[in-house]
Amino acid sequence: MTKNKTLTIQEKIAMLDELVAWFDSDEFTLEIALEKFKAAEALAREIETDLASLKNEIKVVQQSFDQA
Amino acid sequence: MENAINPRLTVSDFVALTNQTLEYAYPSVEVEGEVASFKVNQGKYVFFDLKDNGASVGCFMTVWQLRQPIEDGMKIIVTATPKLTQWGKFSLTVRALRPSGEGSLKKSFELLKAKLDKEGLFAPERKRLLPVLPRHIAVISSTQAAGYADFIKILSDRWGGLKVDVAHVQVQGTDAPDQMIRALKYFNTQEILPEVIVIIRGGGSADDLSAFNDELLVREIATSRVPTLVGVGHEVDESLADLAADVRAATPSNAAQIIVPDRQEIIRSVRYKVQSVLPRTLQAIDVVREQLRITLQDAFTTIERRHQQSEERLMQLRQVLVQLDPTVVLRRGYALLRGEQKVGSRIEIETYHAIMEAKVERYDKK
Repeated sequence: MTKNKTLTIQEKIAMLDELVAWFDSDEFTLEIALEKFKAAEALAREIETDLASLKNEIKVVQQSFDQA
Repeated sequence: MENAINPRLTVSDFVALTNQTLEYAYPSVEVEGEVASFKVNQGKYVFFDLKDNGASVGCFMTVWQLRQPIEDGMKIIVTATPKLTQWGKFSLTVRALRPSGEGSLKKSFELLKAKLDKEGLFAPERKRLLPVLPRHIAVISSTQAAGYADFIKILSDRWGGLKVDVAHVQVQGTDAPDQMIRALKYFNTQEILPEVIVIIRGGGSADDLSAFNDELLVREIATSRVPTLVGVGHEVDESLADLAADVRAATPSNAAQIIVPDRQEIIRSVRYKVQSVLPRTLQAIDVVREQLRITLQDAFTTIERRHQQSEERLMQLRQVLVQLDPTVVLRRGYALLRGEQKVGSRIEIETYHAIMEAKVERYDKK
């Protein structure tokens, strides 16, 4: 599976949901289930890595609010 | 000489000189006392007396400066400048006031709550939803406060990739409401608006938290363009800022929990999703396996039935064959005759027990 570097975590989660939903759909066939499962597993690992590496960017506004 | 020691002044000059002296000596004073004779004239000017057991002093302020409601009998602290009016009356020109003591704080809180509630500032239909996963938030708090540190820690533990703009302001004291109002205005007028404004402060006494019951601050929160989340004090503390906000958090830590999901929970959920397809796949395999078993069973049953049918047929044929066996007929006493059937010819006769030869003496057609 290729890395989905340009996608956000939400988009990746949506993709994973789609993959998982396929298993419940009428399109499900045992022949391609393994391929889909491997793709879902890889995507889940990617999401996990993304989530673990994200950092917040905290910036204190320079403006003083003491005076009007 | 006498004039130098006792200068003769006009009344206006005397009043002006007295005010100059007062302003120099007491540019600003805080006076605590009980409110008496409270009244508002022309909807603009507020008059009341501030008294204790030994004295009483008149106070004046505009209605716009009155940011927390008061009434007779309440104990308050005024920040004021002493002044002698042109009619010779001494009074305090009040710039700000705040209730003092638990009873007065509570009374003021209830009065303002009732007023703003009547205006619909706390109405549920005004509440907006916070974005599910914001990418840019603004925080209004004191960066030195424990509540702020808790918020940032929990926020960072739970989620990442957020742009967090922080306005450092006082969160208690007389200046706190105005500073928070300026910060709210600042974030609401940015070119790129944050998706949520979070106002936080840790626990404290009722007096410490009274800044969050300031009328102008509460109105500013209620009219914020950007959705607001307020987490002030502990779970039991209720402020008017809480009520006016789109979402109320019980504590600063709770505010962080509300604003972003927990990444560990998402990781668990993602793992669960992937694992959840396994039983479904196994179930599909079981279904196919069962279908296969049924098909094979059907085939076996068909073969078995056909085999049985063949066996039965064979049995019938055997019985027919038995019936057709000549020895059976011979056993019943019949004889088998071989040879030409005409007078004088020799024929062979076979019975069950013997074979004999005979000569045809007579031949009559039936």
